[in-house]
Order: sequence, then C-alpha cells, then structure tokens
Amino acid sequence: MTHNNNEPMLEMFVFETLQLMDQLEQSLISSEKDSGFDLTINEIFRIMHTVKGSAAMMMYDNISELAHSIEDLFFYLREEKPDKIDTTEITDIVLDGVDFIKNEVSKIQNGFTSNENASGLIKKINDILINIKKLNTSSKSKLDTNYVKENNNDQKFYISSENVNKSKGEYKYEAHLKFAEECEMENIRAFSVIHDLKEVANITYYYPENVIDNDTSCEIIQKEGFKIEFMTDLSLEMVKDRLSHTLFLDKLEVYLKNDDEIEKFETDQIYNNDLYNEKNQIKEVKEIFLDDFEDKHKDNNKPVLNNQISKKTVVPSGKQSVISVNIGKLDMLMDLVGELVISEAMVTQNPDLIGLQLDSFHKAARQLNKITNELQDVVMSIRMVPLSSTFQKMNRIVRDMSKKLNKSVELKILGEETEVDKNIIERISDPLIHIIRNSIDHGIEETSERKEKGKSPLGNLVLEAKNAGGDVWIIIKDDGRGLDKEKILIKARENGLINKPEDELSDDEIYSFIFKPGFSTKEKISEFSGRGVGMDIVVKNIEMVGGTVQVNSAPGEGTTISIKFPLTLAIIDGMTVLVGESRYTIPTISIKESFKIKNESIIEDNNGNLMIMVRGQAYPILKLHKYYNINTKITDIKDGIIVMIENNSRILCVFADALLGEQQVVVKPLPKYIEKAKGIAGCTLLGDGNISLILDVAKIFMTF
Amino acid sequence: MSDILQTLFDSEEDTQKDKHLTFIIGKEIYGIEIRHVTEIIGIQKITEIPEMPDYVKGIINLRGKIIPVIDVRLRFKKEPMEYNDRTCIVVVDIKDFSVGLIVDSVSEVVSIPENDIVDPPDVSTGYSNKYIRGIGKIGDDVKLLIDCNKLINDEDCEKLIQV
Amino acid sequence: MKRILVADDAAFMRASLKLMLEKNGYEVVGEAENGMVAFNKYKEIEPDIVTMDITMPICDGIKAVRMIKEYDKNAKIIMISSMGQECFVKDAVLAGAKGFIVKPFKEDIVLNALSKL
Repeated sequence: MTHNNNEPMLEMFVFETLQLMDQLEQSLISSEKDSGFDLTINEIFRIMHTVKGSAAMMMYDNISELAHSIEDLFFYLREEKPDKIDTTEITDIVLDGVDFIKNEVSKIQNGFTSNENASGLIKKINDILINIKKLNTSSKSKLDTNYVKENNNDQKFYISSENVNKSKGEYKYEAHLKFAEECEMENIRAFSVIHDLKEVANITYYYPENVIDNDTSCEIIQKEGFKIEFMTDLSLEMVKDRLSHTLFLDKLEVYLKNDDEIEKFETDQIYNNDLYNEKNQIKEVKEIFLDDFEDKHKDNNKPVLNNQISKKTVVPSGKQSVISVNIGKLDMLMDLVGELVISEAMVTQNPDLIGLQLDSFHKAARQLNKITNELQDVVMSIRMVPLSSTFQKMNRIVRDMSKKLNKSVELKILGEETEVDKNIIERISDPLIHIIRNSIDHGIEETSERKEKGKSPLGNLVLEAKNAGGDVWIIIKDDGRGLDKEKILIKARENGLINKPEDELSDDEIYSFIFKPGFSTKEKISEFSGRGVGMDIVVKNIEMVGGTVQVNSAPGEGTTISIKFPLTLAIIDGMTVLVGESRYTIPTISIKESFKIKNESIIEDNNGNLMIMVRGQAYPILKLHKYYNINTKITDIKDGIIVMIENNSRILCVFADALLGEQQVVVKPLPKYIEKAKGIAGCTLLGDGNISLILDVAKIFMTF
Repeated sequence: MSDILQTLFDSEEDTQKDKHLTFIIGKEIYGIEIRHVTEIIGIQKITEIPEMPDYVKGIINLRGKIIPVIDVRLRFKKEPMEYNDRTCIVVVDIKDFSVGLIVDSVSEVVSIPENDIVDPPDVSTGYSNKYIRGIGKIGDDVKLLIDCNKLINDEDCEKLIQV
Repeated sequence: MKRILVADDAAFMRASLKLMLEKNGYEVVGEAENGMVAFNKYKEIEPDIVTMDITMPICDGIKAVRMIKEYDKNAKIIMISSMGQECFVKDAVLAGAKGFIVKPFKEDIVLNALSKL
C-alpha cells in the first residue's frame, strides 16, 4: 500500500524524518567532539533504522536505501566495537547522508518528487564499512560462536517447562508448509514453526536442515517449501489446527506416517483468500521491494548479534507528555483567541449598556475578562519555543566552516533554553547562520595569526540568548580581529552612504554601515560569506519579525552583534489614533508622551518642514495624513494631537486627528498580497470590528 | 444571492468542473471558475492601505481574517462607480491566499463545458483582454472567462511588493 | 472488535498501522513509543493483540515481549521487523511472539497476519 496520496501520513513522515535528522546531526557532532560514538551509537542506529522503515513504507527507496547503508555501518560499529575507526570520516559521510535526506524530504514537503540517486553515497558508506572491517579483523569470529552457544541455552529456557518432560511420540507426522510469496524471512518463519512444535512434539527431521545459519535456506523454503517430521501425541486434527495458525501460510499438507505406511490426509489451500484478488497489482509493487531486499540479503554476511541492547542508551526520548501540534492549528487557535478578546470587548463595552445599572453583569463580565486574559496567556505560552534546536544547528555550521577554512573555532552556546515566539524561530535561523559564517570567515583569524597576536590559538565564538525586560536578546560574539573602521568608511564613501561630516560619525554609525545593501569590505569573496548577499538581508529578515540589530566592535578584540526581539510578537500594547477615517496603532513601547498643542511654539523651516519646541528642544513633526495622503478635516496642528515617538535615541512627533485609546492589540500580518506597505508593521482588529494599521516605528524613522 | 451560495456549497469537487460564477461589470458578463470562489459577501467597510495602486482598495475583516480587496472595475481600467447594495465582494482563494474581488453584482452559477470555451480574439479589444482566458458560449450569450491567477498575480503584483 | 496495542518508536509507523487497522475494523486502544511503555500499557489495557517494533529506545521490542509474556503467557504479539533483523526476530519468536511482519508492509499483509491470531 502506498501512502503517496495520503496527506496526513506524508506530513507526518516529513515532520518526523526532519526531526530525526536534526537529532542525528546533533548526536554526530557531539560524538565527534567527544571523539567516539560510544554514547550515541544506539541512537544513531535507531534513527537510521526508523528512517529506513518509514521511507520504505512511503516508497522513497533512495532515502530508505541510504538509511539502510548507514544503519549497516553503525550496526557493525555497535556490535563489533572496532578500535580502528576514523571518527571524522564517518561523521563526514553520515552528515552528507543527513544532508541528502533533509534535501530529499524538503523536496517531498514542497510537493516535488524525491529523485536524487543515493547510490554514490551508499557506495562510499559501504567502502568505509569494508575498510573498517579489513582494519579490524581480529578474533571477532569468536564472538559469533559464543553467541550461538549462549543462544542455545536461551532456547531451552524459553520452551515452556511443563511440556519438556512429557512423553511425545505416539504418532509420527510429516508436514509440508509453503509460505505466501510476500512474507519475507522464510527461514525465520520455519524456525518459528519448529519452535512452536517443540512444545508438543519431538522433532525428528526437517528440511532445509540449517534454517537459520544457511543463507540459501530462505530460497529453498520459498521455492520448495519447508518439510518437518515429528512425533507427537496429538491427533491429526489437532496438529493441523496448530500448524494452520502459522502466519502467512500459503499451503499446508500433513501426513500421518505409521510403520512406513504413509497416509496422506489432507491438502489445504489455506492462503487462497479474497485479499489476493488483486494479485497482479500487488505483485507490481512487490517487485520494487524484492529487488531491493534480495541484493542486500546476499551482500550482508552479518555477524550474529547479541540481543541485549547496550545499557548505555543516551538521550532518553520518552517525551510521553509532549505532543506535536500542527502549526496551522496553533495559528488558528491564536486567531480565535484574538477574536475572543475582541468579542469580549464588544460585549462588555457595548454602547447599549451605557447608563444602565448592571452590577451583576459587570461582575460576570469581570470574570469573563479574567478568563480570556488567562486563556490568552496560555495560548501565547504555547507559541513560545526554546531556541535550543536553532542554536544547536549552529554547531554544524561552525564545524563545516572551521574544517573548510582550516581555522579552529569553538562555539559556546549560552541560554539556549530561552523561549521566543515560534515566528521568530522560523525566521532567525538563516540570519544566525549568515552572521556566524561572517564571524568565522572574516572575524576570526588563522591560527598562526592568532598566535602572533598572543591570542589563544582556538577562536572563540559565543552564541547567547537571554531575556531582558520585555525583550529577548540574541548575541553573537567573536574574539577575532574586529571590524575595520577605515575600510568601512572608504566603502561607505564609495557607495555614497555618508550624509554628514565624517568627523561627526559615531562608531556605532560607522559600524552600522555594514548593514547597508551591497556592503562588503572583504575583497575576496569566499565560499561561505560575501557572495553579494550581505548583512542587509540579515537585517531585513530580522526586521520582518520585529527585531533590531546592533553591532559593536573593538579592533583586535572582536565583534559583537546583538539582535533584539520583543518577547512576543503577537500581542502588543498600543495607542490607537484616528486620521480621517483610518485608524493607526502605535506600539506603546516607542511612545514617550502624547499631548495636545497649547503654548508650544511651532517652527517652520524653508522647506515647509515643521518643528516643535518642547522644553527647549526642537523636534520634527510628521503629519500622518500627509505622510499617508489621507483626507481629513483636521490639518491644523492645534486641532489634533501629538504623539512623541522614539527610536534609537531619535525623536519624532507624530501628528494625528485624535487619540482613540490605549489597549492591548493582537498583531496580525498584512495579507501576503499587500506584503509591505510603507511604515506598516501589520494590522489589528479593534473592539468595534474596525481594522487598525500598526505603525512600524523603526521604518518610519528610516523613511522620514 | 443565497441560492448561488447554496449551489456553491452543494457542489462537490468533481461536480465543480466546468462550473463558473458569473458577475457583471458595466455591460459585460464575466465568469470565474467556481473552484476558486470561497464566499460571496456584500460590500463592507474597507480599511485603506496607504500608497497602493488605485484598484487595491485595502483590507477587510472577514470574520477575523484579514483579506485584501481589489476593485475589478478599476483593475480593468474602467470608470469607478459608487458602491451600492448590489455591489458584492467575491472571495477567491488563489495559491494559498484569499483575495476579495469587488464586482458590480453577481449573477448566477452556470456550467460551461471546456469545448464551449474558445480562445479570446488576438486583436486587443480592451485593457481587460489580457486577463481573459477564454470566451464561454451559452446559447447566444457570451461570457468572458477570467484568469484569476493573472488578474491577481500579473506584473502589477510585482510592483505592489516593491512598494 | 479486536483491540490492538501498537508499539513503535516512530510516530509515522504508529499512524500508518493505526490507519490500516482502523479502516479494517480493528480498534487501536493504545500506542507505545518504547518497550517499557508497551509493557505498562499492556497491563493497563490488556489488548487482544500487540504489534511490536523491534528497534526502540529505552527498552527494545524483544525485552518487551519477554516482559509481557511473563505477565500474560497468552499474550498475542506480532513483531514488526525489517530485513536484516533475522536474528532479532528469532529471539522474539523464542521469547514468545506469535509471528512477524516485515517492513515495509502492505495493508493486506497486516490483515492476513492478524486474522490468524
């Protein structure tokens, strides 16, 4: 059965496989650091086993085969514990495998076919395995024989003791069994029959004789069936009944053999059921699997293994109390709660209630308000996700980069348990990768250079997350050569970015030039960073989820890039103002004060720009109706209100018609179709059902 | 309008084939494939978004969902008209986002089999021509069938995003 | 209606089996992501049949079969195995599993196996 048209199964496959790949990547990198797979081997083996099975079910043979080859490799490592292995080589190849699977799965996720051929990778993995086997051929075969002996003891133990001493042997039977074509592992099925009969019979002979250890037994049983002779007290009916319960039995013949006189009793065609009506169709599918398996079957001369899984199982994944939820549902829940908050306001602040004496209504309303607030908090907290998996991904980036650039860099992760809104998680990964690549490529020096400068040869990179006030900070700090102010200035001059006297530029202002489009001081474009897309894209990505970026640097000591996010994006405190018919909401966090003009003096410059004097300081005025070209009757500064907003220590006075009030609003993104409107961060629904546009204060400062 | 809605929601995936919702702009009758249409609502309060092309009227609150609305009249470079009680917003779902189309009025749901649809004439008969994917014939009637994708995602869309 | 406990560490596999079984008149009364949970759930819900993956974290399927069989020697357990796991399957049979299915499996294979129990 294929699930290819089965959306939920596909979604699940994609989700689980990607999750497992991330987990695997982390295990690999930590193994490499600890220089050995001792602690993670079981986990890696299990992950590949799971992926192999799931991918085969979904008929993604390329993924399944690749997973199988890695599984084989780790199977050998686990069972044989070879001493002579190249951890880095194995890590490299398995990481390549992880990349391959990730890539294919994301193709599948996006509705494309997974068509990449894995055979090259598989061959490399097999070669490594062969090589390891060659290097480690010590007295391993001893283990096998030991095991077999041990196992024989086991065998006795598991036969129910009550039957062992009973006399078995009044009648002699011969049984022929054939198994269904698709059942696989015929030898084990035969073994299972032997095991079952041992409880009630003395087995005198069976063919093929060595069902387990002989590789050809499978084929023989498949073609000729399995023959077994035994002595028992059971009647023919009972024997037949017992054997007919064997799984995937296609054909069963039981003969009673007494004193050489063979009495054939019955031929049963058991497996002729309706399920196989569509046999042809099923066969087609089957062939795909069979090819696959037969090959592997021949190749693998596998050592017999000990069934006790090593006790060193690490990373307990028994997250029984955690479930995964579709993000779409979470968004929907968020939307609904947002609406609930609005509806509640519409009921409790309904104009019809004005002037009525409604004590018990208000009491009930307060209770409702309390519950909606709590519900809102809970829903918000559900959306909060720890940064750990995003941070852990950076280990891979650092590993790959430092290997390729031949620099030694250590990544230190702090505060990965810090939680942020899931929207941030989705968007933060690429900017972080970019910043970290920049740090290693341009910031951290070669080992020799570091030694000359008297620094520790190992470059240090710190990735830190922390909560401060209402914000989350993500800080990337390196101890490299720092930003070169002179180079930045030259480049800024070339690009005409400097719009005031250079000696008035503060360090911060100079450094922030690196966030401008097309800005790269590095002449040589390396494989990892540069390449035209610069820090401006990073900044853009971060701003898209409401974050801001700052850069700090000291020559020779390193660079620190700090990203600030509001703790949660979905609900903000805002002040809503009216301009003509339109409503705009300004985040309270950016507001310094709001007031009506009384005696403050208004200054107009030559270009018609207005300034206002407040407490001896002049501030520019932004008339919203002019900025957005909105029709309104209120155009005179004295008739409306002023909201003073602040961003990065710049201050601007926004002029609007009237103040509508201050409240918590649920931020909704503008529809994709509209994408980014000038200076608008999103929109929100007000209690009266009107839509208000939320101002993007940072953007307004940039465009004003 | 309610019976149109009924037809809309009665129709299952396969019976939706060939079905078109027709609407009127000026004297012309246009049709769009029913599978794109999710809902028809009366005109309602539209929140303007600054600095959009004139035909992007703004956004509306559709039961908590914010969707953009386009005036099809203006999109076709026809004269603007006051909205009245016959003005409708046809909500269509295209490539995972919803857009409301403002039309003069909706008319009916008709079945136009693929072989009754002919290619639009090569001669440019008006600005709206490039959004027409075919001309549907029902008896002597002619309906201009709109390519929803083009209507919404045409090059103008690029400009929108750059704003 | 036969009540089934599905033990597999892969949520995808559990869901696949559940889908197949419930479509065909079986009731999946429990799911377990490792052998320990499977054993605990077995005691708690006493299902008619258990489908048991072999490779699972914390406690593998074979150990789980042993524990369950010790608790209830009539327990009907079907192993869900893969090619290459012959040795494990053998151990599972020795431990008392009624039979086994080989991944990747088709719906009719699963139904056929269950119908024999």
